[in-house]
Amino acid sequence: MNFPVWDVAFGAGLLMALVAGLHVFVSHFAVGGGLFLVLTEHKARWSQDAELLGWLKKHTKFFVLVTVVFGAVSGVGIWFTIGLISPTATSNLIHIWVWGWAIEWVFFFLEITAALLYLYGWEKLEPRVHLWFGWIYFITAFLSLVVINGIITFMLTPGHWIENHEFWSGFFNPTYMPSLLFRTCTALALAGIYALITASVQKDAALKARIVRWGALWTVPSLLLLPVCAWWYIQKIPPELWSSARGAMPTGTYSALLACVLLGVTLLLALLALVRPGRLHLAFSLVVLLVAFSAMDSFEFVRESVRKPYVIENYLYANSVYAAAMPGDGGFTVDKIADAGVLKTARWVSNRVLTPANQVAAGKEIFRVECASCHTASSYRGVRQYIAMRQWDRDKIRAMVGSLYLMHNGVMPPFAGTDAEQDALTAYLSSLQSAPAAAAAADGKTVYEHDCGMCHQMLRDDHLFANMPRDPQAAADALKDLPGMFPVMPDLKLTEGERRALVQWVNAERPNLPAGPAAKGGK
Amino acid sequence: MMDTGMVPTIDPNPLPAPFWVFKLLLVGTFFLHILAMNFMLGGAALALLARWRQKSNPYGSRIFLDVAKNVPTFMAATISLGIAPLLFVQVLYGQYFYTSSILMAWPWFLVIVLVIAAYYGFYFVSYRAQQRPRAAGRVLLFSTTLVLLIGFIYTNNITLGLVPSRWMQKYFSGASGWHLNLSEPTLFPRYLHFMTAAVAVGGLLLVLMAWAKWKRDAEYARALFQFGGKAFLYATMAQVLVGIGFLVSLPRDLRMLYMGDNTLATALFGFGVLAALLSIYLMSDALRKQNIRLAAIGVTGLTVLVVLTMCIMRDILRDAYLKPYFHPQEFAVKTQWSPMLLFLGLFAAGAVLWVLMLKWYGFFTRTKDADR
Repeated sequence: MNFPVWDVAFGAGLLMALVAGLHVFVSHFAVGGGLFLVLTEHKARWSQDAELLGWLKKHTKFFVLVTVVFGAVSGVGIWFTIGLISPTATSNLIHIWVWGWAIEWVFFFLEITAALLYLYGWEKLEPRVHLWFGWIYFITAFLSLVVINGIITFMLTPGHWIENHEFWSGFFNPTYMPSLLFRTCTALALAGIYALITASVQKDAALKARIVRWGALWTVPSLLLLPVCAWWYIQKIPPELWSSARGAMPTGTYSALLACVLLGVTLLLALLALVRPGRLHLAFSLVVLLVAFSAMDSFEFVRESVRKPYVIENYLYANSVYAAAMPGDGGFTVDKIADAGVLKTARWVSNRVLTPANQVAAGKEIFRVECASCHTASSYRGVRQYIAMRQWDRDKIRAMVGSLYLMHNGVMPPFAGTDAEQDALTAYLSSLQSAPAAAAAADGKTVYEHDCGMCHQMLRDDHLFANMPRDPQAAADALKDLPGMFPVMPDLKLTEGERRALVQWVNAERPNLPAGPAAKGGK
Repeated sequence: MMDTGMVPTIDPNPLPAPFWVFKLLLVGTFFLHILAMNFMLGGAALALLARWRQKSNPYGSRIFLDVAKNVPTFMAATISLGIAPLLFVQVLYGQYFYTSSILMAWPWFLVIVLVIAAYYGFYFVSYRAQQRPRAAGRVLLFSTTLVLLIGFIYTNNITLGLVPSRWMQKYFSGASGWHLNLSEPTLFPRYLHFMTAAVAVGGLLLVLMAWAKWKRDAEYARALFQFGGKAFLYATMAQVLVGIGFLVSLPRDLRMLYMGDNTLATALFGFGVLAALLSIYLMSDALRKQNIRLAAIGVTGLTVLVVLTMCIMRDILRDAYLKPYFHPQEFAVKTQWSPMLLFLGLFAAGAVLWVLMLKWYGFFTRTKDADR
């Protein structure tokens, strides 16, 4: 709200995911592939394998065209994109880490130079000098990962930086080491996977088989190490955050599951390539590449999901509102905005004063400054679908708007603004629905899914299932006044029929539920 | 009093070094970036011109091949050296830069797509020009056009960032990120000023290439020198007109900075104009007398100085535009000593390693041989 909001119809988050997903898949190859080039050259020269050396020359060209062009430019692309979508976070990351970025730039510049000289040097340089360039390339590329890893992990686990704002405290944060190891293994695995592409177009079957086996030596052990790294990584993530990937948040959980499955499939495919390595087909290697890409993308989605509602954990919400007041916050904290009102605080809104006539228009502007960093009206993470799916009417929407921060393990920031502004947002959200809400649901499961499942998980120790009175009549009566029972609950005004159905269903489900990680209610 | 309410506030983090440190880094790295950009774009444009005139110039086809081969490397340099000023401009001028970028978000985002397309095009030309000259010519035209378009988008963003008073009206007429800054009177003169400079400096690239081949391949080197030298000459002459046009298009109070109101700006401007005129004289003299050293060392050295003064003048102009809003003394400063010293140390070590890499590659040896 400090900056204007770019209204991307299909979803700014989707655009970000696209750019970042493509970039990381190439940038990790740029690191691991560098070591692959130089060690393969050592191997080929040592074993006097002229064919392997011949292939490696072509592979170098492929490597440079992929990493130096697409990899480097898409990296700048991430920077362009975050500046457009999340300028406040970008500005913070720039000011906190200027010297980190500047150091990374030095490595990047050397890296690009070494890559080009390594490529052009194949025909010109004596092997010893050529290998130097290979090593300089790999070392500088790895060092750029060493730097950028500090900044990425800082966003998830800022550690003591939150208290002392010291550069090195934030840099060597709790997830720094596991993430570095995780990403290094990923980079090495990708080196072997990308090698399959250029190997598969070789005509010489014996050479192809040699490359495929050599590539597997990179891919298979690295993939086997990844779960170990992931386990260590997860140990360092606060459990209340991690529970988002263990059922509390649909996207996070789904992505985590997908990452595990796809990692397994990648490993399987990498092993399958070894069955008949001399007959590896380009189509097969492209499939391996695609699966590996999806696995990696899923991992990055998990990382981003568990970080929510923050973009910098415990410091800045995804919608550019600061978590706590501090000098220079510009008034952009939840508490200050709740006092002053979002329409008065935000710079880029035209409806400064609420009137009955401008409620929907003002609500739309509120949606834009508070919600559009993750949601669209009706496409990517579209709120219209969410509401339609649960058949909320205006009253329920209004009740839910007040409880956003409780939903799905607290993955959403609290609404920042006045009660009247919540009404305006509600008016806008209701205006998105074309058909009126259907009649009240009669069965308990539907009531749960529509009205409770946003916050309550189907776990034995979730408040709903653990603490609801067992006596049906007492339970149905207790559900009449939700805020009276528990002040943070939204005032849902369930009908008599809904309450009875819900109680009956909860009582039936209770004995079968698993204990869960979100026992303490997650965040 | 101008309304400054639309300018976003800076984030709470203090600058991790004094303002002037970043200013120096910003102007210094922008200077390097713009030199590389000039070589890349100027080189591509002149390669294209050589290809187009290969019927009248017996060496046209060879110049095309030789120059086009190097364009991807200058593209890599342009991007790599562009990252640093992109970083430092966000350190000091983020509020303006992000806002103008968001107002023209789609064209700005498109830059990335265009750069990738242009870059692959340049590589295609570099690798395939020999075998497929016709296709290579077309692809080079395509990539060069994309680069010209990228430059135009940049000029739009930079100028839009200087006029906060125009932002609100643009934003409220549509937030989907399609606003260029076409109503800006300085837009086209400024853009032309940069593009013309690129052709001139591209001419110097050819002169430098001719110098490297002067003894080994005398006849061709002379043709290259003539072609590049003339390009420099004509582009710099045109630049005198374009530059005047740019100066005239500036608002009066800003124009007067260079005409007495600001001593440094006036001195730099005076030096720039005189040095440009001198370089025209020296280049025509060098071309007449076939004096490659005068062109390669004298004119290039002088031009590099002119580019540096232009970068400083550009910075003065930016701060003059933003004077009602931008107050450097408002930055909180808390120097992060150890990361800063680490950067400076690595930067120095990196520069040494970079030069060593070029040396190991034989870059300097060849030049020396050629000169002997």
